[in-house]
Amino acid sequence: MNELVLYLVISPFAAALLAYGFGKIDKKIAFWISEILTLSLFIAVLYLFFHYTNPISVDINWFRFGHFSIPIGLYIDHLSMVMLLIVSGLGFLDIHYSHDYMAEDPHQPRYYGYMLFFIGGMILLVSAKQLSGLFTGWELMGLASYLLISFWHEQKAPADSGVSAFLYTKAGDIFLFASLGLLFYYAGTLNMVTIDHLATSGKISSHVSFVVAIFILIAALGKSGQFPFFPWLLRAMEGPTTVSALIHGATMVNSGIYIVARLFGFYAAGGALIVVASIAALGVFVGATSALVQSEMKRVLAYSTMSHLALAFVGLGVGSLAAGMMHLSNHAIFKALLFLGAGAVMLSTNDTKDMWRFGGLKKPLFLVAIFMAMGALSLGGIPPFSGYFSKDAIFATTIVTNHGDIITALTLIGGLLSIAYITRMWILIFAGKPRDIELFNAVKTPSKFWISLPLGIMAVTTLVLGFFQKDLADYIISAKYIEPHVAHMMPVVLGVIISLAGIMYYFYYLRLDLVKKLIAQPLIKSIHNILLNGYYVERFITWFTHNIVVDFLAKVVTYIDTHLIDAAIDGTNGVSHAVFSRLSKTNTKKSGDYTGGVIFLVGLVILTVMIGARA
Amino acid sequence: MIYLLTIFLPMLLAGYIYLFTRRIGGAKYIALALFVALFIEAWLTYANLLPSGYTILGSYLDVKRFDFVLTLQVDRFSVIMLLLVSVLLIFVTLTSWSVKHQSAYFSLLIFFAGPIFGLFMSTNLLWFFIFWELTLIPVYFLIGIWGDKQRIFAAMKFFIYTHLASMLMLLAFFLLYKQSGTFDMTQIKEGVLTTPALIWWLLFIAFAIKMPLFPFHTWLPIAHVEAPAPVSSLLAGVLLKMGAYGMIRLVVLMLPHQAQKYDYIILILGLATLFYSAFMALYTTHIKKMVAYSSISHMGLVAIAISALSFSGLSSALFEMIGHALTISILFVIAGIFHEKTGSWQMGDMGGIMQKAPYLATLFVIGGLAALGLPSTIGFVGELSVLISAIMAHGVWLAVIAAASLLSAGYFIWAFRRVIYGKQSKVVALTNFSINPVVFGALVIFAILVIAFGIFPQFLFSGIDRAFDTYHLLGGLA
Repeated sequence: MNELVLYLVISPFAAALLAYGFGKIDKKIAFWISEILTLSLFIAVLYLFFHYTNPISVDINWFRFGHFSIPIGLYIDHLSMVMLLIVSGLGFLDIHYSHDYMAEDPHQPRYYGYMLFFIGGMILLVSAKQLSGLFTGWELMGLASYLLISFWHEQKAPADSGVSAFLYTKAGDIFLFASLGLLFYYAGTLNMVTIDHLATSGKISSHVSFVVAIFILIAALGKSGQFPFFPWLLRAMEGPTTVSALIHGATMVNSGIYIVARLFGFYAAGGALIVVASIAALGVFVGATSALVQSEMKRVLAYSTMSHLALAFVGLGVGSLAAGMMHLSNHAIFKALLFLGAGAVMLSTNDTKDMWRFGGLKKPLFLVAIFMAMGALSLGGIPPFSGYFSKDAIFATTIVTNHGDIITALTLIGGLLSIAYITRMWILIFAGKPRDIELFNAVKTPSKFWISLPLGIMAVTTLVLGFFQKDLADYIISAKYIEPHVAHMMPVVLGVIISLAGIMYYFYYLRLDLVKKLIAQPLIKSIHNILLNGYYVERFITWFTHNIVVDFLAKVVTYIDTHLIDAAIDGTNGVSHAVFSRLSKTNTKKSGDYTGGVIFLVGLVILTVMIGARA
Repeated sequence: MIYLLTIFLPMLLAGYIYLFTRRIGGAKYIALALFVALFIEAWLTYANLLPSGYTILGSYLDVKRFDFVLTLQVDRFSVIMLLLVSVLLIFVTLTSWSVKHQSAYFSLLIFFAGPIFGLFMSTNLLWFFIFWELTLIPVYFLIGIWGDKQRIFAAMKFFIYTHLASMLMLLAFFLLYKQSGTFDMTQIKEGVLTTPALIWWLLFIAFAIKMPLFPFHTWLPIAHVEAPAPVSSLLAGVLLKMGAYGMIRLVVLMLPHQAQKYDYIILILGLATLFYSAFMALYTTHIKKMVAYSSISHMGLVAIAISALSFSGLSSALFEMIGHALTISILFVIAGIFHEKTGSWQMGDMGGIMQKAPYLATLFVIGGLAALGLPSTIGFVGELSVLISAIMAHGVWLAVIAAASLLSAGYFIWAFRRVIYGKQSKVVALTNFSINPVVFGALVIFAILVIAFGIFPQFLFSGIDRAFDTYHLLGGLA
């Protein structure tokens, strides 16, 4: 078992090097190495899943300095197992899908190398025992994400987006880095299970737990693309769609939720869960409303990712580990499906992302349309698709625990709106008449084996998983999961969902002209613009970093350095130069400006020696 | 005897090597062979060290009535420094493979090897001072002759400013001699000193200038910018380490009680250096200045680690010193290559180098990622150990150190964006980035070391820890 766990962590990195190296010989080799490796990872994870009895623990000492030692062990329990299944399963499907999606690209070895590197980082993250290992995975994944977003680095937009992704997430990561030091000080260990126990049993004071939990939360919000860090997630859509699907839809962005779930006891003991719920509720609303008006399909999905991950955060925040993790798992599958579906549409339409140029694509892309519809139903929350159950569980817990009307309202509104934007998206792409005939006529049907098969597998999974939600919840919390009961919730929720879908059907299918007229109205137009720009959060952050941090703080420091500190030093030399050139009456050349200083200092040497000898 | 030759033979022979190779060339092979021999010597010395305390290598020049004995004795700390120095010298030789005026250049480098080995081997403070001063001379010429446009100014400023530091140091040494009757740093007991505070301050400022710490750092950026790229590596990798070595050996280990009294001074200047130079690096658009400020910023981390005055603090300081030497050397050399090839220092003039020179650009990225503290590089291990030592020694508010890695991420990621990624600029499109394979090989080896020590830091720590495990008992350090 231990060897298998080590294999899971180490082999992706080794394979990344192999894929990159041998890919130089033939691009196909890079693909096959990745395909076989990810399949082997999935099989290994399945083996671990079926042979799991007790948590698997591997202790590795990383380094010792002075009296302190930093281990980097591995630990796999139910929570890690769920994450491992998601990462390895979706990783394999994504690599399989890449065969056609990246077929034209000349830099495939680099692509597969980075992808495997990413998978390695993610596996390290979810199977780490200590925060040190988790942080290592966390940062390596961040690097892979940066490199993959700016994969087409010779173009301006991807290169810029990579910078945003790295720096936005880094702004959160420094808090996780700081909490490594803080927990080492307060808990004396970085072992996450121990920290959880110490906090639950009151060995760490609740004030400390609260502050450190908030620190970790900031990093989690950054990595999961939550408010106010979400602008990077939007810009991350500049990368290849397979990357958006795996990294910015299904796996990496989950790591923020995973860390809160992993330290759930710690969060509860510190009383930080309410903060998680509050910030996340805002994210649910902001993401869902912004997704309503986007015209690029990948941006709709990105905002939707933000909103749904926020929903999972709310689930944790209101105290239900099971609900949050269930939603994370369900979301990973249907979001990967929707992203890869969008990728299939782009692949068939020569990289078009603007939904207003589509319409009527269900004919040439029948299979993709069906599978994406299944993903959309799951995302929108229609039973018996899996998305319904976890969303319902989060709604119910939020209502029952009642952490305040605002949290409940934002969560419910934002959560229910998902059916609206996803209906809108599906209709705009697949239904109606083609709006761009030229584009429509040039549509190529994607390969069944390489493109439609992975979509189909995910579509079936999102449906079938709906029937196993209870088992999933029991598995995650290792106990009987009891969903809080709210009277008459199901009919109300379903009623709202169906009527929202109906409204969208009316506007975007029957009366598309009306939408354009409405958007032209001044009031609606200004609201539309706010939503379209994601509440101008990015503009504010860019303004702040550019004008305050770089152009003010850094500029002032530079000014002080050149005009004060350095000038004083140069001035001293100027003085001594002036004195000595007057004394020696020599007309020094420019290069000799410092002779005075030299003489001065030689004198100082003699003086010092004399003082020293006297003493 | 061999150790005495190690110090004086290079200095004596440098002139002959210059004259001898001026016509026929080949100075670089002599230099390389010498530095490899020095490395082997340092390695053998390391292997034969006594388990604790000093190992005496030799004692010469026993003049009556004046403590002028050249006592060569080393402990693990100084031998680790010797190993670092010889590795850096080999690196500098390899990366200077196609430099102009080779015989003069490499003769100066050979000359430099003598005093720098002497510095780390001698425990007599007077000789320490003499070797300290002798190292300035070759570096002065290396900057002044092979430097960029303002090289004379930079060399002068470097020389005078660090010379000022030496004067303070010498004054402190005389005071030490007066009050304790010996120049042997291993014999000086803090208790017998009458003005320990004055001595501590003199030494502290002297080494703070050399490290350099804010606000004594202004000699370094210009020296870095004007110096030829490999010499910048030498400055960052060896000369700054002299300051850090002195700080640990004389300011902390020799005067532990004063250090405990004033530890907050080291800490505050370290923090100021860390953040101040990070902001400077954020603002500048000059590629080599950015690397230089990043280098200073890391020395701030070293100072913070030293200020912990603990076993782990000293260990992490030494680890960070090694990490800094390896990382910054890569960055300086590549920044120098970019400048040499494109003719510009401005990052705005570059862009898209990844398309023209993918391997060189990748090496730059590896160096940058290590400098910004990415886990699995040596930079992260250094940062984490410094963070933990500082928090354990001074309290949780030092978690603020973490914020510096956001600033360093800021300037390095933007530098990648401006220099490596994006569209090819006009200049880059016309440039041929082919470099000497020897230079490239040296860079690759350092990049591999940066990653290997980042994944297996215990390899370094097992040596480093034993360098300090006896002192924490002797000096009353926690």
